Order: sequence, then C-alpha cells, then structure tokens
Amino acid sequence: MATLGIESSAHTFGVGIVERGRVLANAKSMYPITDKGMIPAKVADHHIQTFKETIEQALYDSGLSMSDIDSVGYTRGPGLGPCLRVGQLAARTISERRSIPIFPVNHACAHIEITRRMAGLRSPLALYVSGGNSQIVAREKHGYHVLGETLDIGVGNMLDNFARSAKMVPAWGSSVAKSAIKGRYLPMPYTVKGMDFAFTGLLTSAAKMLGRHSVNDISHSLQETAFSMLCEATERALLLTRSRELAVCGGVAQSSRLREMLSIMSRPHGIRFGFVDDQYNSDNGAMIAYVAELMRDSGSSFQLDKCTIDQKYRIEEVEALWR
Amino acid sequence: MAMIAEGAEARLFSANVLGLDAIVKHREPKAYREKELDTRIRRSRTENEARMLYRAGAAGVPVPTVLLVSGFKLYMERINGKLLRDAITKKSLVQAGRHLAALHRAGISHGDFTTANIMVGKARVWVIDFGLSQVSNSIEEKAIDLLLMKRSLNDKGLFGFFMSGYGKGKGTKQILGRLEEVESRGRYQADRYRI
Repeated sequence: MATLGIESSAHTFGVGIVERGRVLANAKSMYPITDKGMIPAKVADHHIQTFKETIEQALYDSGLSMSDIDSVGYTRGPGLGPCLRVGQLAARTISERRSIPIFPVNHACAHIEITRRMAGLRSPLALYVSGGNSQIVAREKHGYHVLGETLDIGVGNMLDNFARSAKMVPAWGSSVAKSAIKGRYLPMPYTVKGMDFAFTGLLTSAAKMLGRHSVNDISHSLQETAFSMLCEATERALLLTRSRELAVCGGVAQSSRLREMLSIMSRPHGIRFGFVDDQYNSDNGAMIAYVAELMRDSGSSFQLDKCTIDQKYRIEEVEALWR
Repeated sequence: MAMIAEGAEARLFSANVLGLDAIVKHREPKAYREKELDTRIRRSRTENEARMLYRAGAAGVPVPTVLLVSGFKLYMERINGKLLRDAITKKSLVQAGRHLAALHRAGISHGDFTTANIMVGKARVWVIDFGLSQVSNSIEEKAIDLLLMKRSLNDKGLFGFFMSGYGKGKGTKQILGRLEEVESRGRYQADRYRI
C-alpha cells in the first residue's frame, strides 16, 4: 500500500515513498545552480538524465520494489513548464505501465501539508516562502485561501538574485544568510501593503549599494528588511484570522533567522509555531507522495488525460477533500 | 488608559487631551526586528500617519483630527461609530467610494483601504488608519486601493455600489484597467475573494 511521489517543479528532481502517512524514502537529485541561475531547458535535461536513478534510489532506501507501489503522484504545478513535464511523464508512464491510480498534486499544498503533519499542527496559518512563491495561506473547508502574497517576485528569488549580483559562491540565499551574520543595518526600502508585500524595489536598491558598502552590510540589511516585511504581514494575517497556530514552509523556511523572527513574533500572541526538517523544506518527493496518498484516501480519482501540468497552478484551485 | 483595540502594528487606548475625548495609537516595539529598523518603521509610520490625516482632512475627507504627535504615539479625536465591515449599507458604500475618489484626486493612496478601516458614524462615513498611506499619483497604488476594497467586500454587487460612489472621474478608466491587470497577474484570481 505504498505511494510514490515525484517532484520536478524547479531545480530538484525528487522521489519520495510514503505509506499511511509515514515517509519511507525521500531521494533527490539537484541541478547545480551556477551564476546564470536556472535555465529551464537545461534543468529539464538534468531531470531526464537523473530520473531513473532517483526512482531506483528511493525504492532502494524504502526497501520496496516497484510492485509494492500502488499509487503515484506528481507535481502538477506551479513551476517551470519543461521541468514539470519530466515528472509528469515519469508518473504517467508508471501509472499506465503498472495500471495504478495517478494524482496531480499542487506544490504549495504539498509543502503546507507535509509541514502540518511533521510539525504536529492541526490547522495552522501557513507562511509559504520559496524561490518562486511567497504567500500567506489559510485553510478553509475543502481548500485554501491566500490572504496575502508577493506583488512581484518570491523572496527566495530575490535573495538568489542578489547572491548572483554580489558574485557569491554558491550563488543563492544561504550565502546571503552567511554574509548577513557579519553585517550591520543600513536603511533600505520596506514595502508592505496590508498583507501583501513586494521585493523588487528592495532588490534594486541592494544591487545599487554594491561597491559603495560592504557586502556583509548589504546582505544583512536586505535579509533583515525582507524578513521583517514577511513577519509584519504574517502577524496581521494571524490577528485577522485569529489563528492559534503558525507554520513556515518552503525553501526559505530553512533560514534560521526567519524562523527565529517568526517565533519571537508569535510568542506574545500565544501562538504555536512550527516548522519541519530541512529535507522537507527544500523541494522533495515525499511531500508529493504524502498528498497523493491523502487524495487517494479521501476518494479522489483522475483520468490519465486529466493529468496535465499547469505552470501557474494556484493553491486556491485545489479541492482538498481530506480536510 | 484603557485599551480599545489591538492591531498588528499598534494598540489603541482611550485618553483625554485637554478635556477632549481622544484615542492614542501607540506603535510599540516589535522584538522580532532589528532595533534600528524597528525604530525607523515606527517613527516614520507615526509621523507619516499624522501628515496623511492632515492632508486627507484638507482634501475634504472626514478623518479623525490629529491632536498631538509624541514619539511613537499619535493622539487623535475619538470617532463614534461602527466599522463598515459590521455596518454595510448601500449608502455607506457609495459614501466610502466618494471618499476614496477624493483621496486619489488629492494624490493620496491609502495603502490599506478595507472595510475594517472605514467607520460609519451617525451623520458621516469616516476613513481611518492612514499608517500605510502615501502621497502618490501612481496608478498602481490607486488600483491596489480598489483591489483591497474589492477583496474585503468579497461581493460583486457591493463592490458595484462602492464604485458608483467612486465615480468616473479623470483617470478612473486607467486605474480600472490597471486593477484588471493586477488581478490577471496570476497572483490575484477571482476565487481569491472567496472567504
């Protein structure tokens, strides 16, 4: 009774295996990001080259064989078209060859649900922060509601972009975080509109400061400003929804500074704050398998020709029959 | 001082200023953000709010009168009434639409124009909470004011009443065009307005 989940929305090709909510395997192969960022066609090539061995690795880690897998899930979106296509094709092939049901999964929903499960939260307000997305998501009956989100780019994309401008190695957010520890605060533009926020103004201003201030100071101020914006919007959403729980998830949720700030913010309100292990915050197949299993157990079923991809698949479109 | 309300960025207390019934909006420190950034945000928002309230009042929009600004505390005239959120009528929506049009004509974007930031009094409809307002003639900012109202009303008919008050002044067509564009950016979709 095991479910295999395939994630391929961006740089990670991930394969997870889940059985009754327990993760048996979470194998990944990651496209190495260079100073040029992600070129979708090249990332898709990487996925094509590594998908077979990643699936084999997951089966090996779980101690199961393909004949033990009785349903399969894949990321339908949001994500990069050429990359999503590889995971979809792999999942459809497995489904057809083995005559097992297939489930198209929303990527944001998968991050939120695996966090809810692993952090032991019942019904948290979720701050979902990654490269492409930054959203504040509340649950509602059979679905989700986005209360606030970025008006331009995702916070992770902003940090990665700055890392590339500052020629950091590796060129992404974790390098900014390292450099930020040694920096001091400099004023930067701060953009919050109710529960929405915007990052391009901040990015432009940080890029312009390069050469005139120390990189550490810019990193520090960029990160502090961006995370403060997220905290402010989240606090507003928490008070509005009267939510008693908060979860942070997605790639940027790996930042210990962001987690610290959210924890300090929630404490005076008596809100339970939770997050999960880094392997589930970076993109992974286990969360896709986990949601595919929820979909199966709540009675959803999908015809193969309805198993499409959607680069802009919104979490509000998800019919979450399990909640 | 008795606390009246607690928002995400400030707490409201009742107060008395020279015998006048007043409220104080106090922006207290946020421990999660760095001290310099925190001080800067709280100071600039408090000063900005006082300035914007004055400017909006001068443009003929009913807003609480600023009595005193002291550090991170803003003392204002106390308004008696209900939040529009809890007292939605066609008349009050049309009036709220007129007020936003007047703000936009005066080059002010409110920044958080929702039904929770409008008060319906006995004789007038008041606009409150100018903490995120700015002097701006940007079409984008104005479109976002309309978007926030549309989202908080969450109902086409009600938003229609609001828009009948907002009217068809100079530049409205452009703003409405931008509203459509912001919504279609894929981040804001129709079903987002479902609560």
